[in-house]
Amino acid sequence: MRFSRKATPWSVGLLLSVTAVIVSAQGQPPGFGPPSGPPPAPRAAAPVDLTGYWVSLVTEDWRSRMTVPPKGDAESVPLNAEGRKAAQAWDPAEDESSGGRCKAYGAAAIVRRPGRIHITWQDDNTLKAEFDAGTQTRTFYFGASQGQGGDWQGISVASWDVPGTIMTRGGFSLGAGGALDRGGALKVVTSRMKAGYLRKNGIPYSENAVMTEYFDRFDIPNGDSLLLVSTEVTDPMYLTAPFWTSTHFKKQNDAAGWNPSSCSAK
Amino acid sequence: MKAIKNILYIVLFSAALLAQINLFAQAPPPRAASRPSPAIDLSGYWSPVVNEDGLERGAGSEIGDYAGFAINEAGRLWALSYDASRLTLKHHQCDGYVAPYQMRAVGNFRIWEDRDPHTMQLVAIHIWAQTTEGFRTIWMDGRPHPPAYAPHTYQGFSTGRFVGDALMVNTSHLKQGWLRRNGLPESDQATMVEFIVRHGDHLVDTTVVTDPVFLTEEEVRSDDFFRQPSDHGSWLYACDDGEEIVGRPPDVVPNYPLGAQPFAREYSKRYKIPLLSGIAGASSIYPEFTATLKTATDAEAEALLKPAPGRSPVSSAMDPEPHDGEIHVWPVSGNVYMLVGDGGNIVVQTGDQGPFVVDSGSGQLTGKVIEAIHKLSDQPIQFIANTSFLPDRTGGNVKLRAAGGDPSLVGSFFSMQFRDAGVGATIIAQQNVETRMVEAKLPGPGLPSDTFLDDRRRKYHNGNAIEIFHEPNAITDGDSIVQFRQADVIASGDIFNTTQFPFIDVKDGGSVQGEIKALNDILNRTVFLHEGQGGTLIVPGHGYLSDEHEVVEYRDMVVIVRDRVRSMIKSGATLEQVKAARVTADYDTRYGANTGPWTTDMFVEAVYSSLKQPAK
Repeated sequence: MRFSRKATPWSVGLLLSVTAVIVSAQGQPPGFGPPSGPPPAPRAAAPVDLTGYWVSLVTEDWRSRMTVPPKGDAESVPLNAEGRKAAQAWDPAEDESSGGRCKAYGAAAIVRRPGRIHITWQDDNTLKAEFDAGTQTRTFYFGASQGQGGDWQGISVASWDVPGTIMTRGGFSLGAGGALDRGGALKVVTSRMKAGYLRKNGIPYSENAVMTEYFDRFDIPNGDSLLLVSTEVTDPMYLTAPFWTSTHFKKQNDAAGWNPSSCSAK
Repeated sequence: MKAIKNILYIVLFSAALLAQINLFAQAPPPRAASRPSPAIDLSGYWSPVVNEDGLERGAGSEIGDYAGFAINEAGRLWALSYDASRLTLKHHQCDGYVAPYQMRAVGNFRIWEDRDPHTMQLVAIHIWAQTTEGFRTIWMDGRPHPPAYAPHTYQGFSTGRFVGDALMVNTSHLKQGWLRRNGLPESDQATMVEFIVRHGDHLVDTTVVTDPVFLTEEEVRSDDFFRQPSDHGSWLYACDDGEEIVGRPPDVVPNYPLGAQPFAREYSKRYKIPLLSGIAGASSIYPEFTATLKTATDAEAEALLKPAPGRSPVSSAMDPEPHDGEIHVWPVSGNVYMLVGDGGNIVVQTGDQGPFVVDSGSGQLTGKVIEAIHKLSDQPIQFIANTSFLPDRTGGNVKLRAAGGDPSLVGSFFSMQFRDAGVGATIIAQQNVETRMVEAKLPGPGLPSDTFLDDRRRKYHNGNAIEIFHEPNAITDGDSIVQFRQADVIASGDIFNTTQFPFIDVKDGGSVQGEIKALNDILNRTVFLHEGQGGTLIVPGHGYLSDEHEVVEYRDMVVIVRDRVRSMIKSGATLEQVKAARVTADYDTRYGANTGPWTTDMFVEAVYSSLKQPAK
């Protein structure tokens, strides 16, 4: 019996057919069929519920968050020479008088201010985070960003981060792992912020800073829920390395303690 | 023919497409209840990012900086009494970091998975931390946590499961250690829940510590790590202890008297913030505290630097004894076992000879004790050593003796003198044990039949060198510790326990100085395995299986309380004044009692009385 080295239409067809089955079966997370309509809106697709009132738990960087540290005290912040110079130039009185009293309440610092956050869905594509400290509002847009930025809170683009999704990248990914029951986090990338302070004592970030955040929710056995905001601020103007912090909040049942206050430079 | 083939191709390809559509049209198969959530890969080399609390995690925080911690009075006073010179003591030099603090340590981390080689199921996730060589194992196979009488370690016992996008870890059985390196304590009763998430090369470990002894609410912190692409080759943390201060007496434990911490105000003065900032406890965690700071006066904060007047709180610690009417056997080392359940811990050594038993419990469950021993050995109990005459040590003597026999006496010269020689186990104890039991008119068959007067009695049995050391005037005047050399185990009797202040029976010859010496004698015979833990194991009279770290912390406590009482006696204080001063305030939530057979007041009185007596 002779075997032809030439691929016959039969064998090619068979290969294509089997490949189609395998790629389809394994290349997508189980339970995710071919699209039968538009993808669900971000609100419906949310892998985690972040809405509600959250109170900050100030258990780290306590002195730099609860009090105003002395000028030049930049403990743990990777400032470069320009950053240190700018920090030394901090003048809270000047900030108060020149419209800069909200400099420490911008997007890159607002989660570090002691206070409460109220997170709600503004619409199916937009999450809103209101902060009583400084009475600030951040808006997280899923998809195309809106607005021009240039204010304290800049422009924030949101997406759901589901790290368990099995990737194929053109190959096969055999297995039943994937996004089922995975939960996930909110990822927010913020840019075009007005220059401000990472800390109240004038530790600077520039308008070139870009911030990437992940919002995770954890339910602990005693019934409380925690919100963890992991933050990376990059700023080629003032920082020698990305500035990472992780800030936590505890879920409240209601608006107790919600106390909108005005910004203060002191 | 060619047309037919083409039709077949189309049919086949269409069938394949239909198959895939059908595949996804159905609901995902239900997951078996036992199937774990898919793992998130946390493995790799990780380095901590110290963009928060740099001072704490680097040089160390100032004394008095406990801001953001929900400490209670005991935690605050424990920290204020702490003197960093304590680390010069030999038994503290290599102290490891407890897991909640370990995760905040600088140095390198490595995480890797351990999978069953046959099923590839995830069995465990391991974390190695360079600083103190902290090695954590997070069991992922659904095993339960060990019982409360099991040993505690710096890293504790951890189990985990994936919840959402996080690895959720539950840790129990932690040792006493630090929440912060300036002496802010974490007790051995603490537990921890963690959530470890990974976003790209950014790992965050959120730790939630519950500590009924030192905290009023959970302590939540989070630590960031970034992924290293390669092995930097720096993983070790060598430590052997040595003499840092030569000639220092063994009963010295550096500490500051309550209310007299000279550096308590350093933190507030340096940063020009109210004294209350660092010592307020749970309120300092919440945003409202910023308003409190505006009106806080140092005068009101000063009151927090010393014990509040009034009744002492009682222990919040878990009772490690099961109280379920059963005897529980815990393997200690080699052929040595700990039996828990009959009031006091019992130690059993087995081998090709009859079991050697240390103490007989309270006598309430002796039948079950005998049953448990018979499961460990088919030989009759040959020896029983009593570490004191106290009822929780000797209560089961009569029945336990009757259940055994001492074949070494049968047919010996003893048989000529005593018709019943070898009938029943031989009970060994220091002579004062027998004397006290005779005074108490306890039944003859339960009395020691083989007593000694010297400071050491030795016996080679079951292939193990066993030494019994008399510890004069510790709990009583007849205490002993029993050391199994090869197994490297010490049975301490009631000289050391993990459940209460030491029961110093002054009227029967006990004294605080003798108790301190006895605890130091135990420490002189221990060798740790690694970073101050493991190695020689200590079976306490009551409580969980320990090693030298638990004995050190206990010794420290007795010395510190002794120092406070002695200082007050020197200044002319009466017993009532000493009690009112709450000299045990930082230990009450761990060991204190206001009712029952051994209260905090009774302990303080015992310390006071023994210090007022001439030295023995």
